[in-house]
Amino acid sequence: MTRSHSKAGGVEFRNVSRRYGNVTAVDNVSFRVEPGTLVTLLGPSGCGKTTTLRMIAGLESASSGTILIGENDVTLLPATDRDVTMVFQSYALFPHMSVIDNVAFGLDVSGVGRAEREAKAREGLAMVGLAGYEARLPSELSGGQQQRVAVARALVLEPEVLLFDEPLSNLDAKLRRRMRDDIRELQQKLRLTSVYVTHDQEEALAVSDQIIVMNKAVIAQQGAPADLYLRPASRFVADFMGASNLVDATVVGRDGGRASVRLGEATVELADASAGVDDVSIAIRPQAIAVTRLADAPALPVSVRKATYLGSHMEYLLDSSVGELFVVDPHMVATVRAGESAFARFDPTGMAVVPRAG
Amino acid sequence: MTRSQHRHALASAVAGLALIAGASAASADDLTLYCSVQEEWCQAMANAFTKETGITVAMTRKSSGETYAQIKAEAANPKGDVWWGGTGDPHLQAAEEGLTAEYKPANFAELHPWAQKQATQSGHRTVGIYAGALGFAINTEILAKKKVKEPSCWADLIKPEFKGEIQIANPNSSGTAYTAMATLVQLLGENPAFDYLKQLHVNVSQYTKSGAAPAVAAGRGETAVGIVFLHDGVTQAINGFPVKVVAPCEGTGYEIGSMSIIKGAPNAKSAQRFYDFALSPAAQATGAANKSYQVPSNTKSVLPEQAPRMDKVKLIDYDFKKYGSSAERKKLLSRWDAEVGAQK
Amino acid sequence: MNRSHLSWLVIGVLGFALPPWYGLPTSSSAPWPPSGLLASFGVAPWLLPIGLFLLLPAPFVIVRSRLAGLALIAAGIGGLGYLVAQGLAIGLRGWSQPLLADLFGPLATGQRGMGAGGLIVAVSLLFYLTLGLAARGAMKGDRFTTGAIGLVVAAIVVFVFWPVSTILSQAMVADPGQSAIVALAERLTARDIWSVGCVVSATRCGVFWNSILLAVLTGVLTTLLGLAFALIASRTGFRFKTGLRLLTVLPIITPPFVIGLAVILLFGRNGTVTQFMAEYFGLTATRYIYGLPGILLTQVLAFTPIAFLVLVGVVQGIAPAMEEAAQTLGAGRWQTFRRVTWPLMRPGLANAFLVGFIESLADFGNPLVMGGGYEVLSTKIFYAVVGAQNDPGRAAALGIVLLALCVGAFILQRTWVGKTSYTTVGGKGFSGTSAALPRVVKYAAYGTALPWALFTFLLYGLILFGGFVENWGRNNSITLRHYITAFGLDWGQNGLLWTGRAWNSLFTTIQIAAVSAPITAALGLLTAYLLVRQRFAGQSTFEFMTMLSFAIPGTVIGVSYILAFNTPPVELTGTAAILVICFVFRNMPVAIRAGVASMSQIDKSLDECALTLGATSAQSVRRVILPLLRPAVVASLVYAFVRAITSVSAVIFLVTARYDMATSYIVGRVEIGDFGLAIAYSSALIVLMGIGILFIQLVVGERRIGRRDPVQPAARPAEVTA
Repeated sequence: MTRSHSKAGGVEFRNVSRRYGNVTAVDNVSFRVEPGTLVTLLGPSGCGKTTTLRMIAGLESASSGTILIGENDVTLLPATDRDVTMVFQSYALFPHMSVIDNVAFGLDVSGVGRAEREAKAREGLAMVGLAGYEARLPSELSGGQQQRVAVARALVLEPEVLLFDEPLSNLDAKLRRRMRDDIRELQQKLRLTSVYVTHDQEEALAVSDQIIVMNKAVIAQQGAPADLYLRPASRFVADFMGASNLVDATVVGRDGGRASVRLGEATVELADASAGVDDVSIAIRPQAIAVTRLADAPALPVSVRKATYLGSHMEYLLDSSVGELFVVDPHMVATVRAGESAFARFDPTGMAVVPRAG
Repeated sequence: MTRSQHRHALASAVAGLALIAGASAASADDLTLYCSVQEEWCQAMANAFTKETGITVAMTRKSSGETYAQIKAEAANPKGDVWWGGTGDPHLQAAEEGLTAEYKPANFAELHPWAQKQATQSGHRTVGIYAGALGFAINTEILAKKKVKEPSCWADLIKPEFKGEIQIANPNSSGTAYTAMATLVQLLGENPAFDYLKQLHVNVSQYTKSGAAPAVAAGRGETAVGIVFLHDGVTQAINGFPVKVVAPCEGTGYEIGSMSIIKGAPNAKSAQRFYDFALSPAAQATGAANKSYQVPSNTKSVLPEQAPRMDKVKLIDYDFKKYGSSAERKKLLSRWDAEVGAQK
Repeated sequence: MNRSHLSWLVIGVLGFALPPWYGLPTSSSAPWPPSGLLASFGVAPWLLPIGLFLLLPAPFVIVRSRLAGLALIAAGIGGLGYLVAQGLAIGLRGWSQPLLADLFGPLATGQRGMGAGGLIVAVSLLFYLTLGLAARGAMKGDRFTTGAIGLVVAAIVVFVFWPVSTILSQAMVADPGQSAIVALAERLTARDIWSVGCVVSATRCGVFWNSILLAVLTGVLTTLLGLAFALIASRTGFRFKTGLRLLTVLPIITPPFVIGLAVILLFGRNGTVTQFMAEYFGLTATRYIYGLPGILLTQVLAFTPIAFLVLVGVVQGIAPAMEEAAQTLGAGRWQTFRRVTWPLMRPGLANAFLVGFIESLADFGNPLVMGGGYEVLSTKIFYAVVGAQNDPGRAAALGIVLLALCVGAFILQRTWVGKTSYTTVGGKGFSGTSAALPRVVKYAAYGTALPWALFTFLLYGLILFGGFVENWGRNNSITLRHYITAFGLDWGQNGLLWTGRAWNSLFTTIQIAAVSAPITAALGLLTAYLLVRQRFAGQSTFEFMTMLSFAIPGTVIGVSYILAFNTPPVELTGTAAILVICFVFRNMPVAIRAGVASMSQIDKSLDECALTLGATSAQSVRRVILPLLRPAVVASLVYAFVRAITSVSAVIFLVTARYDMATSYIVGRVEIGDFGLAIAYSSALIVLMGIGILFIQLVVGERRIGRRDPVQPAARPAEVTA
């Protein structure tokens, strides 16, 4: 059984649920992963994202619903028979096998001949930059190297779908950034269908074509990274996507899809996502606020509690009539010091209206 | 991908077949012998029979209790043909329960009366092949060291100087000890016998499991006196231990080692030939040649030189029928349990 | 997916059509017996429905219908049910129950036990059922897992549950005029089981209390000693580790009675040590060793190695990173040991205790030799069966008490270990070195293990010596007589003659042990895999059933096997197969425990990863789990091999002239006091088993997981101690 790039298939969940006794881990979830794209399942721990991933792999079975991979119903198919591989959070390297044996394992059990599988495994190792490490045992590698072996092992099978279960959570920050870029690059180069689980929104934004945010066993929102970042559908999503400022506001006027929103002393014109409700919340990116000493029309008076100089930008913590605001301001010319009074100016492109409840 | 699963499943099927293949059976001119005397004698007897008749003997040696339990368990589909040797009670019990078959051997007339009686009272389902009297195996070294006079009567054993120096098997587990208990009941009457056993209990260091164990213990010096069948004591003496056998002066009981054909035996013809052969003087001579010194049941057999002379032993008229019955056995054993065995 | 359906369909149908359905009849003159198909149209028309059940799923499988799964399940359940029903209903001489004859009219013929054909068909039907269940999505659709569960459950039902319930039901057999319940109640409440007379009056205590006291003491002592040895072997720089391991292994490869004999020859009233003490210290030579002290001593000698084998895998399996973590958190050696190492060892300790406790309860040889007046359940059961009482009902009642004790121990162990996760073999490979032991623990380990080792060594020296002595204690001249009697060889006209009396039983013993050991280990570890790695309904019942045969004394098992397998449908008495099966199911629980203890330390993501890489469950077991389980594999193989050679109580009932075993021969020698030959034969067995163990170690090899310091790979070679 040989696998080729052209086999990269989509994944589809149709009303899939997974129940353990009284606990529902995944509740009536439906989504599609288009072939050749990377979709991230993002959410806090216990939201059902890992269970969803394991159901794609066949390591958990669905209590109800249908799972399709490449248009085939695989709901009842065991993990072995699914053309899906997975990079585990713990790497799951076989400690008793050398690096090359680990990478060649999948080929070996699928009956690929010795010469071919060694060649492919070497190729896979070279792809992740580990040529020359073939004979080592996993215990002789650093964490990042172990991670690369795990990726190579999953890649060499050229699966229909490649799964990542929090693959970077055991690495240090610098390595994490590099690895996620490498993963994204490989995925795009090989046009692999990938599903990626993480609880780190930055990581999700960096690697994904699409992001599915999950909360309490259901999908909270699905969309392209920019969509989610800029247009969160709920407080939860806004919060989880890293909008550090969530403040209450009131809609004071509506005009053809635009809404005028009063934010304390200031008024801002934004895309209307209020669904006719006047009491809303506004998610404001830290970068969408500028701090200035000059009073301006829609500006909000604030007092600066903390100001931190970070070379490329300033970070402020402001107190205002709508609450605390966190600001990342690249303007380094006229910086404001802690204790001073100032004004906050808002950039509507970095703000979103979300329902106040939920 | 499924290949290895097939391999696995096929392997288990093959393994199962291999097990079944082991279940092939014996050929026609065979005899399966359950033997309950000592191993050497069993082996010699089997060889002698094969030599005489050309019939292949498959012999298993087990104690009489084990053999009885096995025959009972196998009753629905017997695997054995002849049960040769071992004390008479379980043979009688097997006869009583219809586990063994009726057969009158050709040389029945040549047998001692006690051997014939064993056959007649069981409806010819069993027959006596040897006899052995009950008595004491005494370690002479210990008694000499302790300057204690050797016991010669049952009454001597309850004297205080034998405290902790006597071993006898537990009648619950050993036919030998049951014979001893039944002997005392017949000698003294039931109530006085239990009074005696309670006094004896004070002197007994251990009730062993197996009947011959006290003889071994006497040989090893673990006890001064063992209450056993005399021939078991003789074996210890022959093996070089300072053991002397004594028959009690008041009189003593005895066992009749017996033989039975198993009912439904797969090789009934061979079993009958063995039955006849085992009662011949030639066959009975194999005992002494293999350090077993019981008294053979054929009057024409030569009494081994080392065997305890039965004519010098005062034997009681042991009622095998009564004391071999389940009811009497159960009654005496539960009384022993309650009055003797439960004491500290 | 359909390939496995089709294969089993073909195997099942062929099994029905070709090989003889029944086992060979006793008489060799009979013709080749008919297959199931032939018999259906001849002597046994009642077999025909089985063939129909076999064919039922064929159309669905061939057209790859979605209903194939359901059809397989229906055929599997129906076929197996019918197969069992007809097997039980029709015996050797027609209907087995008079009621059936009244219902259906008399039958002209009966039937014998199943043979190759019957077995193949039964196995096929079983796999119909499990394949069908897998196709319907059971166990995540994994055919290997459903098949394995089916196989293990079926095997345990047939070879453990059925015989055991057969004999236990004997406890209900009543005297005429007595109801079954009263009979059972009377037997279960007998005074000699429960009496507390030794505490409150001058009578003896009940056998229940004796057994429990002995088992607790043995369990605790063996666990502590085993732990001491395990710690020394894997956590210290002790220089004579190989010697140490050898000494701990010796008692396990010792036939029963031999340790008892040696202890008597040393500490008996006339024993060397006792006499020495009497002579030089003026102590009176008594029989102090007989009873609890003697049994305890011999049991601890015998079972410490088992505890060691269980524990050494656990101690080795503790990832050094955890201990290092504790140390970096500021814990001292003692704190690290107390707060990290010790809790991580708890499941192993609980397992070791449980094994020791149950071993002690089931042990028969040592209480027999050393017991004196101290009665325990196992000996009492034995003599209830074979003794002058011949009372299987009483034996069954005692068996129920013993079983209840073991179940109690099992539940206790579960509660103590709790549900904490003890996974320490992660998927990230190992690094770091194991923590050194705190000084107190180290010296305590040395202080207990070394004198014990020395004592064991002395004992074995004496045993070895005893085989070459004319008559120990009386005539100490050196002789080869015993060895010649047992293992004599001669050159005859046709070449080598095996004239020794022991050869026959020795060859049988080795063959049976060699066959049963791998089966035991495989089945045991497979069961452990199912218990640790899979979740299914009825799992705890399943686990309990696997422990059942271990908890029941060999005597009861032996008799129950005769009762259950002497008549159709499964007729096995008198064959080598019954011995092999008996050993497999008796020794499997230890393989299971060893497997469970080791496997719960291996991160589940390893086998999940193998699955997602396209390995089947079978492949992931073989390629990933098994290599990491090598210590457990060795333990199971060694235990199964050795136990097959040394067990005696069950075997006594199952041996035949053709398949006589070494131990039953030795028992005969001990009974008549021929200690020399018994010891000589035992010494030979010890040497033989030693070779066997070395061979197993060599073949299975060690677990190579590279626990070493990553900074200096050359300086510290893989350090998993042998």
